[in-house]
Amino acid sequence: MISEEYSGAKQWSRDKQAVFTVVWISFLSAAIGTMVFFALFDPVDLFGIFDEDLEISRDAGYAAGFFFFWILCVLCSGVTAYLVRTAPKRNAKH
Amino acid sequence: MYESAKKIYPREIGGRFANLSNLATIVLLGLFYAVPWFNWDERQAVLFDLPARKFHLLGLTLWPQDFPYLAMLLMILALSLFFFTALAGRLWCGFACPQTVWTEIFIWMEQWTEGTRSQRMKLDKAPWSWNKLRRKGAKQFLWITFSMWTGFTFVGYFTPVRELGAELLALNVGGWTLFWGLFYGFATYGNAGYMREQVCKYMCPYARFQSAMFDKDTLIISYDEKRGEPRGGRKRSVDPKEAGLGDCIDCQLCVQVCPTGIDIREGLQYECIACAACIDACDSIMDKMDYPRGLVRYTTEHALHNEGTRVLRPRMLVYATILLILIAGLTTSMATRTPIILDVIRDRNALYRELPGDIIENSYTLKVINQDNMARTFALSVTGVEGITLDGVGDTLTVDGGGVLSVPVRARAHRDNAYGIMTIHFTVKAIDDEAVTLAEDSRFLGPTP
Repeated sequence: MISEEYSGAKQWSRDKQAVFTVVWISFLSAAIGTMVFFALFDPVDLFGIFDEDLEISRDAGYAAGFFFFWILCVLCSGVTAYLVRTAPKRNAKH
Repeated sequence: MYESAKKIYPREIGGRFANLSNLATIVLLGLFYAVPWFNWDERQAVLFDLPARKFHLLGLTLWPQDFPYLAMLLMILALSLFFFTALAGRLWCGFACPQTVWTEIFIWMEQWTEGTRSQRMKLDKAPWSWNKLRRKGAKQFLWITFSMWTGFTFVGYFTPVRELGAELLALNVGGWTLFWGLFYGFATYGNAGYMREQVCKYMCPYARFQSAMFDKDTLIISYDEKRGEPRGGRKRSVDPKEAGLGDCIDCQLCVQVCPTGIDIREGLQYECIACAACIDACDSIMDKMDYPRGLVRYTTEHALHNEGTRVLRPRMLVYATILLILIAGLTTSMATRTPIILDVIRDRNALYRELPGDIIENSYTLKVINQDNMARTFALSVTGVEGITLDGVGDTLTVDGGGVLSVPVRARAHRDNAYGIMTIHFTVKAIDDEAVTLAEDSRFLGPTP
């Protein structure tokens, strides 16, 4: 007797689930990574290593660090999710 | 992007738990928006000053070196989550999670502008008209304004909020500040306005593993199947027993109020965020039918099967013990924290120098960080080698509040006492407070005996 417009929420497609989950979990991991990393290292000191003349504000350093971690995590869990989901199915008869 | 998921139109419901959840929303979000505006000692009371690498929490100033406190705090929070989940299910999800709380506010705004559940569903189906445009426009205006304010407040925890407000009014906000404000504002808008329960269902890790903390004594929201079944519609005058019916009149109200669109009568499901809206809904129907309340209620699996519920069980005791140890550890270490840091860096260019008069000299750089907010004067001393003295520095050092002082010092000792590798101890002690003292070891090198 559940009304037509209320037969419960439909599911997200598998692809969409995977994309959003990967992006979101990477975001959380990157947030933790950034926090720990910059508690130990000051971006101003750090970027000076690469180029003495490179002057970078802390804000920009934190942001760069955060996006670096985020992209790295998206890459890592994205490829993992892709490989797991596209792996050849095991044939039960073998 | 969201067409594949059928939109859920949660029906509004009043009642005990709705009041509780409104209270939680107002208190938690009220705190979020208000806290940056409070001052403490002429400085923002809570300010995570990232550009200066200092966290101000009321009277306390934390430095990056205090990171272990943060790690401990996070562990305490995680364990509290375990503890309360084992005790009373997903209390966090239903009442305290930012996703829930912000969604709640966004649904309020939706109700103010677009009306009740049935009005909203009708409006969405209707073709575009002036009325639809006006209502949808008003909703978007409220949502976007509120999101921007949220983003502004968020950035206000990292940048002094009053200065930020002035910059905003002058339309002169720095690039990264603007970026993070918009970022957070947009995330709020998307999460609370559109994604809503999908976040809990598909993206939240806690929602997936919380069931590991559940056991048969955990408080969960449950439908009393024995009492409710067989369900079915009936007139108020009909005695359910004579008609062979249970207490559930199959009115669907519990389904309509559910923000995640599940039917609680099908049993505990991972989509359930324990918001208790279905309890309020069912209680209101039970009252109308003159049946006792509690067909859907907070209960435990043991209680549902008429077995006693045990609150004190090994799982709870283990969580509680670890939690208490962590809290005690954090409190003790915070209470005994000395607001100074002393680093001793030995000069690596020379092992030692021989001075006239059989004196052996070693060079060091001392770095004294004063984490307090007031300037302090420290007495400096060194021990570990008989007759060791310091040169190049006075008896006292003054370091500004929140300042770092770097001084080169030379330690000297007579050659008869200084041979091989010896350990010496530098000590700084605040002149005005004996308790503020810190020692740091280093090496003193001399010729091989």
